[in-house]
Amino acid sequence: MPSASSNLIASAELISQGAEAKVYKAHIHSDTVPILVKHRFRKGYRHPTLDASLTRSRVAGEARALLKCLRAGVNVPGIRMVDATEGILGIEWIEGMCVRKLLPGGAEAETELSDADAVPFTGVDALMGLIGTEIAKMHLAGIIHGDLTTSNMILESSQSPRLVLIDFGLSYHSGLVEDKAVDLYVLERAFASTHPDSEPMFSSVLKAYEVRMGKHWASVSKRLDDVRLRGRKRSMVG
Amino acid sequence: METFTNPHFPRNLSVAHVALFAPVNNAKDLRSRIIKAATLDGDEGEQERQAVNFAFIDARLITSRLHLQTAIYQAVMAEAQGALRTKKVHSEIVWILNPTNNITEALRRYGVSDTTRSLLVVRIDGPDLPAERAKKDMDAIISGETVPLDKLQDITEWNTVKKHYKLGQDTAILEAKGDSAREKVLINEIVISSVASKSIAS
Repeated sequence: MPSASSNLIASAELISQGAEAKVYKAHIHSDTVPILVKHRFRKGYRHPTLDASLTRSRVAGEARALLKCLRAGVNVPGIRMVDATEGILGIEWIEGMCVRKLLPGGAEAETELSDADAVPFTGVDALMGLIGTEIAKMHLAGIIHGDLTTSNMILESSQSPRLVLIDFGLSYHSGLVEDKAVDLYVLERAFASTHPDSEPMFSSVLKAYEVRMGKHWASVSKRLDDVRLRGRKRSMVG
Repeated sequence: METFTNPHFPRNLSVAHVALFAPVNNAKDLRSRIIKAATLDGDEGEQERQAVNFAFIDARLITSRLHLQTAIYQAVMAEAQGALRTKKVHSEIVWILNPTNNITEALRRYGVSDTTRSLLVVRIDGPDLPAERAKKDMDAIISGETVPLDKLQDITEWNTVKKHYKLGQDTAILEAKGDSAREKVLINEIVISSVASKSIAS
């Protein structure tokens, strides 16, 4: 007999697919409030035992990071259901637009927003401030996102400007200055490769990050300079 | 009473009948009846166990309809997968609602106690059990009144929920200090998310 979660997937609408997971829009308790379902499907190229345990631990890891962020007051989607055995994580549906599409250069040609639509509710500078603040709150909680890009941030459209961080699939727990600096560096690179003239935008992000980090900022700032010189990966020499 | 149907679950677990009793006048008797039912032998025991075959949840600790629905969803899923941590799907709901792994503690906090004044009563079953029948079975053992589920918002004791989940020192809650509407939204979200991820909490 098919499992509850496979029935759920079968009734859901596929939104996107990556190498690691498929993402669906689905309904579990009501037809009016959707949830987002992330299904880490079976990988045929892995031994079944290894596949099962990796899938389970990744679903668990992502859910734990989200919960930790919620408790720390970071804007992230709430968790709605977990079926670790089947590799399924159901989270709150966030209605809004991803930041990549709100900034110049990020939208695909046909969906390019007119100037009037761009960055609703707030100006670019304010939006960058929201990003910096959310990242700082997350880092202060000891969570490293691991894949900070403008695609993984949603400006929620329902209420007064709320920036929501999504996709904690590569996140991990760490208090190290190095990890925070690399997290920021990854975002800086993402900005540079997606959006033209990104320097002033990214410096607004850092400005807000600095304010929120307080006394922790100095060491991260210093390390970020180091990381910029050598790149994301540390030298293995020595 | 309300009935939630989930077509994704196996037929015999696809329906949840939920009623909110407030006030409840016989909590003490109900509690001893549930305990006694567990120890009776033979046909009489079977009958008694059938009579109290519900999840009894102290409504003061439930923050929203979605909070309860999430616990029901995860409990039924565990039952369908043969992965219950407690003996029955109904006790599983109560266990999932409590933030720790201790079953006795879960029943003491979230189940019926002698002083319980309001109860959420849940019956998981198939579509063959009509709602009226489920309600009649509930009324047979509970002396009190049923009110719409939306009345929950007047019953929730937010400070007790906060205590059980140890939310007092969390940044999210500290930042919302003084804004009780916002604090409730945050508590509700953290509690729902905790319930949803109970199966992987270590």
